[in-house]
Amino acid sequence: MSSVFADYGALLLRAAGITLWISWLGLLLGGLLGAAVGLARTSRWRVLRILALLYTELFRSIPVLILMFFCYFGLPLLVGLDLSPFAAATAALMFAASSLMAEVVRAGIDSVARGQWEAAFASGMRYRQVMRHIVGPQAVRVMLPPSVGVYIATLKESSLASIIGYVELTKTALLIRETTGQSLEVLATITLLYFVINYGISLVGGALERKYAIAHY
Amino acid sequence: MSYDLNLRTVVPYLGSLPEAALVTVGLSVFTIVLSLLLGIGGALLRRSRAVTFRFVGAAYVEFMRNTPLLVLLYLVYFGLPQLGLRLNGFQAALIALTINSGAYMTEILRGGLMAIPRGQYEAAFSQGMTGFQTFRYIVFPQVFRIIYPPLGNQFIQVVLGSSLASVVAVNDVASWMQTAGSATFRYIETFLVAGIVYVGLCQAINLARIVTGRLLFGPAHVARGR
Repeated sequence: MSSVFADYGALLLRAAGITLWISWLGLLLGGLLGAAVGLARTSRWRVLRILALLYTELFRSIPVLILMFFCYFGLPLLVGLDLSPFAAATAALMFAASSLMAEVVRAGIDSVARGQWEAAFASGMRYRQVMRHIVGPQAVRVMLPPSVGVYIATLKESSLASIIGYVELTKTALLIRETTGQSLEVLATITLLYFVINYGISLVGGALERKYAIAHY
Repeated sequence: MSYDLNLRTVVPYLGSLPEAALVTVGLSVFTIVLSLLLGIGGALLRRSRAVTFRFVGAAYVEFMRNTPLLVLLYLVYFGLPQLGLRLNGFQAALIALTINSGAYMTEILRGGLMAIPRGQYEAAFSQGMTGFQTFRYIVFPQVFRIIYPPLGNQFIQVVLGSSLASVVAVNDVASWMQTAGSATFRYIETFLVAGIVYVGLCQAINLARIVTGRLLFGPAHVARGR
């Protein structure tokens, strides 16, 4: 294991950086899309609520691997332009993260008592004002810890990008494996790398959770 | 957006779909049963009085929750032969899925057990109940209510995760999609078919959970935890 890291450590660390980057991008885009879906789930209009529910249920029932293939092979046929493995993988991670984030956003908004909405509306505030000043700030605090979980999930799922040929951490390990033949060492090394990254993120998330002291109220 | 959808193009491949679906279901069922057993062991470790056991249980859970299933699968499929243990794709997938899912089962079961206060055990023992009776009549009915919703979730996660078996040459639904897709270049149609199978399986679990939940716990029990 040590020999693999001595020879390929720099390469693996750079690949880990790529993994962090694409999963962050997937989380960001998925977060935006998920926020829209999550807002739709708490909408006053029944049609919008049902559509948003169908969206989340659909994307939570399709394996991310299938989404990867769809974005890489299928999406180009639909939109008429070739997608790079990077673009396809980002899109797949975005769809996967969006359904998770939609639930996080919905739970965040639902955590604010109905009475606050009613009070705000009774004071003459508009929907946007209520969201901006009353519900939003409270919901965001509730959303923070599960969002960290979504990031970790997305980071793990980003390993599937290797299957459509995007060279991130897992693909890099497979390439090194083919060159050196040291399967166990290479794969154990990246398993450890993934663990350190994700565990680090979850520790930061735990620290944030304690800082805002919202887990147990 | 001028793609002309032609579902007839995948019809020749539909013959092999039931077999592929059976592989997906079989792999999932085996994984669920084995990982549930592993989860029971894990939960007992995590609740043990010995610090070492608790640490081993916690380390197992944290490690699995923070590493990708795909890498674990590669580790089992490519790494273990280096130690002299040769496995076919199905065996490797079953092992990797079981170890991974076992960690989540551990947390679900531990969460359920944690909800029972010590006083209930003491009360049961003071009534002269044996350990088994306490578990059967006091602990289990309450724990089951708590673990029921997340358990259904985990079943769905296992079905979704089983798609990774296609990467190590198991002919499941995901593999069917790739084969049919690359043979016909009809990726949208094959995606639709595979998507319907996975959504159907997952929603079947979801519905079964809600229906049996109502039967077991009454209409007040809404499906939570998703």
